[in-house]
Amino acid sequence: MPLLELQNLKKYFATQKAVDDISLSIEPGSIFGLLGPNGAGKTTLIRMITGIFYPDEGQIIFDGKKFDPVNDIGRIGYMPEERGLYKKMKIGEQTLYLAQLKGLGRSDATKKIKEWFIRFEMESWWNKKVEDLSKGMQQKLQFVTTVLHEPKLIILDEPFSGLDPVNSNLIKEEIYKLAQSGTTVIFSTHRMEQVEEICSQIVLVNKGQKILDGTVKEVKQNFKENLFSIGVNQLPGSLNGNSPFEVVGNKEQAFVVRIKAGSKPNDVLQYLLQQGSEIHSFNEILPSLNDIFIKLVEGTPTARQFQQVNN
Amino acid sequence: MNKILLIIKREYLTKVRKKTFIISTLLFPLLYLGLIFGIGYLGEKSKKNLTVAVVDSSGYFDAGRIARANGKDSSSVLVLTNIKVDSLKENLGATSFDAFVVIPAIGDWKNGLRNIPLQADKTLGLETAMPVQSKLNNIWGEIKNEKLGISDSTINQLESSQVTIKPVNINDENADSKIAGTIGYVAGFLIYFILLIYGSQVMMGVMEEKTNRIAEVIVSSVKPFQLMLGKILGIGLVALTQFFLWIAFIFIVYNVTKASGAGDSVSGMVGGVQKVFSSINVPLVLFCFVFYFLGGFFFYSSLYAAIGSAVNEDMREAQSLSFPVTMLVIFSIALMSMAMNDPTGPIAVWGSIIPFSSPIVMMARIPYGVPGTVPWWQLGLSMALLIAGFVFTTWFAGKIYRTGILMYGKKPTWKELIKWAFRKN
Repeated sequence: MPLLELQNLKKYFATQKAVDDISLSIEPGSIFGLLGPNGAGKTTLIRMITGIFYPDEGQIIFDGKKFDPVNDIGRIGYMPEERGLYKKMKIGEQTLYLAQLKGLGRSDATKKIKEWFIRFEMESWWNKKVEDLSKGMQQKLQFVTTVLHEPKLIILDEPFSGLDPVNSNLIKEEIYKLAQSGTTVIFSTHRMEQVEEICSQIVLVNKGQKILDGTVKEVKQNFKENLFSIGVNQLPGSLNGNSPFEVVGNKEQAFVVRIKAGSKPNDVLQYLLQQGSEIHSFNEILPSLNDIFIKLVEGTPTARQFQQVNN
Repeated sequence: MNKILLIIKREYLTKVRKKTFIISTLLFPLLYLGLIFGIGYLGEKSKKNLTVAVVDSSGYFDAGRIARANGKDSSSVLVLTNIKVDSLKENLGATSFDAFVVIPAIGDWKNGLRNIPLQADKTLGLETAMPVQSKLNNIWGEIKNEKLGISDSTINQLESSQVTIKPVNINDENADSKIAGTIGYVAGFLIYFILLIYGSQVMMGVMEEKTNRIAEVIVSSVKPFQLMLGKILGIGLVALTQFFLWIAFIFIVYNVTKASGAGDSVSGMVGGVQKVFSSINVPLVLFCFVFYFLGGFFFYSSLYAAIGSAVNEDMREAQSLSFPVTMLVIFSIALMSMAMNDPTGPIAVWGSIIPFSSPIVMMARIPYGVPGTVPWWQLGLSMALLIAGFVFTTWFAGKIYRTGILMYGKKPTWKELIKWAFRKN
């Protein structure tokens, strides 16, 4: 049974269809990537899942029942992209306050905060103010306040922005641990390399609609272009018309070839062996999520605001 | 409900623990008292008792009369002198005189002495010059009486028999309009200050939550309306705390002064306070104050909260958007001073019934007496409308707040804000 199921969710604003008929389902314990260019409707979608907005149409099923914001938001942890904390408030007090707003009792919350502070080496922060912290430290604290109440569903919007590699890894490890212990994580980002690394399942949203849904592996298989990288000392001088591939480029002593329709990788190897080529390597080139992303959203005006991240 | 309590508690504790709260609580009454007594003191000090040389050519002003007049009234000193006018003019600085008058030789005393110059080497204020005129008049009066042959006993009879009037309200014979006016004025102004100061605190608080980007974190735990209401109630409690601290402060000062004993000024003050207590209905005034203070605070602070949610960091945006609201508060004060002149006139009555001005105007009228000046139906209608008013503004503000708090970018206009409020979910 999926933990979260969205059925034909719609939310229209005066000037745009922010979310236009999106359905998806997320299994418990999975790390789910919600991708899309700026303005695609991700934030609106997340705000409906966190009970901030009501959908115009459609249903949200949370943990087998119709989503009831008042009672269910205590079981959701949300770290928005536009996030922050009270600058002048003491850190311990503030964390306690946010935990109590999520429905934890005072003593229970205090105990949990202390555990997390020890785990993240933040024990000395209790009586400091948020304004004394660096941006990275604030992000760590923000993460703690999001997961402290042990939610069943955690929604992280660009969780690694502002974090150095060491702290990024620390948070990443915690996300894995949470997923292993059965927590479901929705992970919204533009950073495709992180998605490939972390997420088991992804959905790509553009202009309010879902344009891609599946596991990372499936998606890559679906979008592969039958490209292979072949390391050989020398390609046969002239390729005759019935060679099973065509050369599309070469890089670093390897040739990139596209296998023609109807042929298989083995046909390529056979062909090369027959021609007496010496093969060092033979790899399939799968498209990166980044390539797929750009390919799918290219041409829509919003895609232009989006920065390409090189893999 | 539990979550609203948490928000109120946080809001209250952070504000009350701040140094600015403690300082403003202590400083406001001191400044207020300082202002009142300071102005009185400076006014007293700037008044100077003049020593004036009198050069008499009429023969009426003799040394005996002048000495008698000086004995009765010490606010100026007259000295009869033979020094020549020219030398006085030249050497006034060197003499002990501040100024001099020359009484000309006159024919008929019935013509009086008009426009006698009081000559000094600097410009004298009217306040300073008046005592000299009245002293000369006293002497002149004595001379006139002598000329007319009126005896001292006749003069006494003339002076002691006079007509005076005193305004009395037939519905409330204890009312003292002077005391009531003062109390009303102070209460009205206090509400005015509280509305402006704490209203803008609510606005700043909402802006802080928005610019710190904590708003979205919190509205994923509570409803935006709860967050707004919690903030308003929390800050309202802070204002109420401050008010009760002031009341306690006054009470302590009063009791300490009373206990400290016997001096004339002390017993005068104690008597004055007792007179105030006996002439107004203290519990009713106090109850109404708290009611109108809270009602007005809810009415305005929810509007300020809506504005705070709609703007970004920029203080100028907030100022331009809150200008119409602030104008309403200032306009109420203008209505109040008109209402004070005529507490039962149409401006006073309508100003104290319409919700936006009622907290200030009604509070200024109540000390005049209920039901003497303010009939019960007016008080009831005013309270009911104020409750309806703040329920409406809170609802209205909640709608704007819900949209505004998550919206970054261009500053909206009032037209857009109203559109947000009446948009369906």
